[in-house]
Order: sequence, then structure tokens, then C-alpha cells
Amino acid sequence: MTDPCLICMKPINDGLTWQGLLNLEKKKTLCADCSKRFVRADIIEEGPVLDRVHSLYAYDDAMRDWLHQYKFLQDVALADVFADELKKALGGKDIIVPIPMHPERAVERTFSHVETLLDRAKRPYRQLLEKTTVSVMGEKSRQERLQMEPLFRLADTATIEPVTYLLVDDIYTTGTTLRQAAELLKEAGAERVEAVTLIRSIQN
Amino acid sequence: MNKAFDPAVRDFLDGRVWLRRHTSFTSEQIDEHIDEGFISVMAGVVKIKNFLGQPHYRCGRCENDNQQLFTTFQCLACKGPCAYCRNCLQMGRVSVCTDLIVWTGPRTEYPTDHTLAWEGTLTKHQQRASEELHESTVMKQPHLIHAVCGSGKTEILFEPIHQALLEGKRVCIAAPRVDVILELEPRLKAAFPKTVIEALYGGADVERFDAQLILATTHQLYRFREAFDVIFVDEADAFPYTAEQTLQQAVRKAAKPDAPVHFVTATPSDALIRQIRKTGAVSTIYRRYHGHPLPGPRYAPLWNYSKQLSKGKIPKPLAEWIQVRLDADEPFLVFFHEIELMMKAETIIRTLDDRIRAVHSAHPDRKEHVRALRDGTMPGLLTTTILERGITIKNVQVAVVGAEQAIFDRGALVQIGGRVGRNQDYPAGDFVLFHDGIRYAMDAAKREIDRLNRGED
Repeated sequence: MTDPCLICMKPINDGLTWQGLLNLEKKKTLCADCSKRFVRADIIEEGPVLDRVHSLYAYDDAMRDWLHQYKFLQDVALADVFADELKKALGGKDIIVPIPMHPERAVERTFSHVETLLDRAKRPYRQLLEKTTVSVMGEKSRQERLQMEPLFRLADTATIEPVTYLLVDDIYTTGTTLRQAAELLKEAGAERVEAVTLIRSIQN
Repeated sequence: MNKAFDPAVRDFLDGRVWLRRHTSFTSEQIDEHIDEGFISVMAGVVKIKNFLGQPHYRCGRCENDNQQLFTTFQCLACKGPCAYCRNCLQMGRVSVCTDLIVWTGPRTEYPTDHTLAWEGTLTKHQQRASEELHESTVMKQPHLIHAVCGSGKTEILFEPIHQALLEGKRVCIAAPRVDVILELEPRLKAAFPKTVIEALYGGADVERFDAQLILATTHQLYRFREAFDVIFVDEADAFPYTAEQTLQQAVRKAAKPDAPVHFVTATPSDALIRQIRKTGAVSTIYRRYHGHPLPGPRYAPLWNYSKQLSKGKIPKPLAEWIQVRLDADEPFLVFFHEIELMMKAETIIRTLDDRIRAVHSAHPDRKEHVRALRDGTMPGLLTTTILERGITIKNVQVAVVGAEQAIFDRGALVQIGGRVGRNQDYPAGDFVLFHDGIRYAMDAAKREIDRLNRGED
């Protein structure tokens, strides 16, 4: 028996195929109806500090529901939904650096949501950054975000080389988080800092 | 154990299975009650090794043990491999290292002063069923009320509920669908003005946790344990109750060990009738309360409706049918088998009258739209099978688009037809099955309605 759809819990039924019978088919995580709700947006933005940001999806209803269930209902299993897409978007060349959570926050959530996405995408990463504050971006206004103390410091063991680093975060809103991380890496000697985020949220 | 406990803690927790970290009390308060033995703690998910040495999980709250619905992960809270239950995730995640708490101290004593303010009179069929149901409750045996749509099932429950409340018993009416609960809530509150009544469903605003009479979706019963002295499961054959083992377990678990669980439905499965006959009693009512027969279905072909609707055209017979209702100012329901087709249809059908709307289970304005139809501010509503049962709208006319679709089985069609002619002043009405080919279930529903109409008297 195949696993049910991760979102609607209904059995995934897409008929018999030769690929399926021969076990050549990738295991599906979603049924056809749920998977249809997620439409790739592939938004690419370039800038001086953060050289390039690739966001896979826009912040629409489907992504809002997904993010809520993943992060706030702590449904770790939902990391599998985008494992393949993330894997492709991340490529294999650059050093992947997840945006960290504060350790206290991570214990509360019981898992680190960005690292779990990378684990499920089977992409190796280095935790070069440490979060210094327990504050959460989503709870701040734009003004507050821009006036904050530094969010990160380099991990004690981190050595930064003059190569390209690829930051990963779940959602890109004002960009404060990613820009601060990029600045820190560049000051320490990184040549180029790019980022991949699952979602791009544009605030009005 | 003569230590005192906080009655507020008891009233909240008695009969419930709750997340330790999710109460409105401080953790110190909860800890004290645990130390004094008033509250016991259990694991959120129990992990056992099966005979092959593989882990086997079971949820402490919803009792799910389908292994596909557990996800294992490296937990940063318990610093190791952990697992959580996805079956009841929406109620707050429960994992191996999550604590659940249950009240094990002296139980809440509920008031015995209640009045039944309902002033209607029961027909002799209702009266007999009501007495039989009460008798079964006293004997603590399960009872099935098999009563046709519009025979006044809810009124049959009033007296047995009243009697239980007078004895200080805690009572639950559970239904698989939230629409049924929303429909029942005002009626029960009017019937029992002195009783603390609370309706529980996803997204409900709960004011009183110590309600003596609880109306709940069957899902909400995941959160109860040995709470009720009697449970009435309304619309017991509705999805998802029949399909999900854990919901049936949840109802059993929510009842005290020797408490009876009764069933009320117009379309019981043969299996349910057999099961209840074995251990309890069945009351059958063939007649509607107003004595008129159930309106039978009429078939009307609607060839290629799916294609036509997709192309933005309303098939002519359907457009004509809706126009007749609009001209006659009769409220109507049009049932569809799937949301996507219905939403396409909504856009084009609104060209006939812009006040027409569509609803489905996830629709944000679902409650408001149904109310608007009932109040007469909306001429008609397109719907999925969510409105197939439980709702009563005076003089409503009903059409099914795609009656040959598998989702419209015998029970569903009988229920849908049961929306028509419920009011004494409008005991008849149109019940049309628009189809793209007649299917067995359509004939089965027609036969069932004919059989019920021949029934007794």
C-alpha cells in the first residue's frame, strides 16, 4: 500500500503505470489535487549585498496553509513535499548555509524547520551562523526589523573562504534576515552570497 | 487523600484528554494536582516493540495506530528519535515526549435542575420511539432510531436527554458533520434553557468547558475520555464516521465504560442495523411528522453536463429548472459531485441571478450562505454533499447534477431527497436527478423511498 497524501490524507491513486510497476517512479508525497495547488513562481531578485535570491513559490493560500501546518502545527512530515524541488534549486556546487534558529526556539518547536527541509532534500549543509536573539521576524513591523541589533554571529568553528555561499530560508519577506546573514559572511571573506528561499512574500 | 483540589481545574479536565502544556492554568497549578493524585499523566504517543522488534506507535489521544499516520523525526525537545501522530494533528501535535493529562480525582457533579421548554407534541410514532429510546438508556443498551428524513428525529431525543439531565448525567450528541451540529445548537439551547450547553467543532468559540450537554463533531471526541453517561450519534452513517475507525473508537472512548451509545439516522447501513439488533434495540419510523409521503425522485437527462459547464454553458434543462424556481420565488439547492465543476458552474449560473452562491466544506462563508438561503435573502445555493443532511429549509426544491456519480450512493440520494417537503405547509416539492446515464444507486434510492412510503399506516 502506498502512503496517503501528506496534506489531504486521502490515498494517492494515479493508476497503474509501467514505471510504477517497475518501481522506477519517484514516490509521490501528494495526490494530484493537492499537488495542483502549488504553482511555482520562481522569483529571482539581484542586489549588492545579497547577490541573488531565488524564491520557488509565491506566498499564496496553498503556501500559507503549508507553512502554518509545517511550522506552527509542527508537522515535520511536510518537509517532504518540497524535497525534490529544493534539491534541484540548490544544485551541488555552493556551500549551503541554513538560516539558524535560536537554540531555545528550536527546542520549543522540537525541530529546526530550515535544516529539516535540507535534510529531507538530502543536501549537505554547514551551520556557520548562530542566532543571537530569540526574537522572531514575523512578529515585528518593518520599522522594527530595520532598526534591530545584529541577528547573527559567526559560529566559533566557522572559517569563511572566498567562494560562493548559498543561504537557505523558508520565507523571504523584507529581506532583513538574509541581508544581515549575507553581510556577515561577506565581511568574513565570502566572495559571493546567494540565497534560495521556498517562499517569497511581498508586503504591501 | 484529603487534600483539596481546585474545582475549576476539575471542571475543565474531567472527562478530557488534554495537552499538559496547553491548559489555561499555570504549570504550577497542574503540577500540584498531579502531585496530589488528582491528575494523571500519560504519554502522547505510546511506543511498543512488536514481535519483530520494530517500533509500533499508538496515539494516546485519538488512539490511532495506523503506522502510516505516524512520522518519526529527531526531536530537539527529547534529544532523540521521536514520533508524532498526524491523525489528530490539527488539535495540537502529540508526540512520544508530549504529556497528556487526564482527571483522576473526584468527578464533577452536574446540576439536576433542568426544564424541557419544547412545547410541541410528538406524533404517536415519535412518542413510541422516544419511550423505547429512554428505556434503552435506562437499561444501558445501544439503540438505533431509524427514522425517515423529516420525521422529527431531534424531538424524539428531547425526553430521553431531559431524563438523563435530571439525574445529573452528562450527555453528548455527536455528529460527523459540523453542519448538523450548527443546526442542532440553537434547537437544543431553546429546548433546555436551564442547561449549560456547549457546541464543539473545529474553530468553535468555547465558553464553558464544564457543559453538561455537549454537542460535538465526532472529531472533537478525540479529546474526551470516559466523559459521558450517554452519547447519541446523529447521522451515524455520514462520512467520515463510517470510513474512519478512529472516529468510531473516539465515540466509544468518550463514553463511560458502561454508558450506552445510541445511533440516529434516516439511512442506516445494513451492518449497523444488524449490529444494534444483536446487542440492543431498534425503533423504526416510516412516516414524516406531518404524515405526508417522502417526495420521490424524478430522472431528467442532462447529457454531457460536465463538458458543457466546463465550456461556460449552462445545460438547458438545468437553466430552465433554476429559472422556474427563481420565477416562483422558491428556494433551491443544486448538488454537485465535485468542487471544481461546481465553482465553474457558479460563475455561469450567477448570470441568471447574481445572488446565487456555492458552498463546500472548506468555503469560508459556508455558515453565512446557508443562513442567507434560510432567511430568504439568497434565492438558491449550489453545494457539494456537505448539505445532504441535517438542514431544513422551508419549501426548498432540490436538484442533483450528475446523479450517476459514485459519491451519490443510495444513502446520499435518500438524504438529499429528504431535504424536500419537510414543512407542514409545503409537504411536497421537486426532487430531480439530472444525470448523464442512470446508475444502480439512483434506482436503489427510488426503491428505498417507495418502500418507506409503503411502510406502515
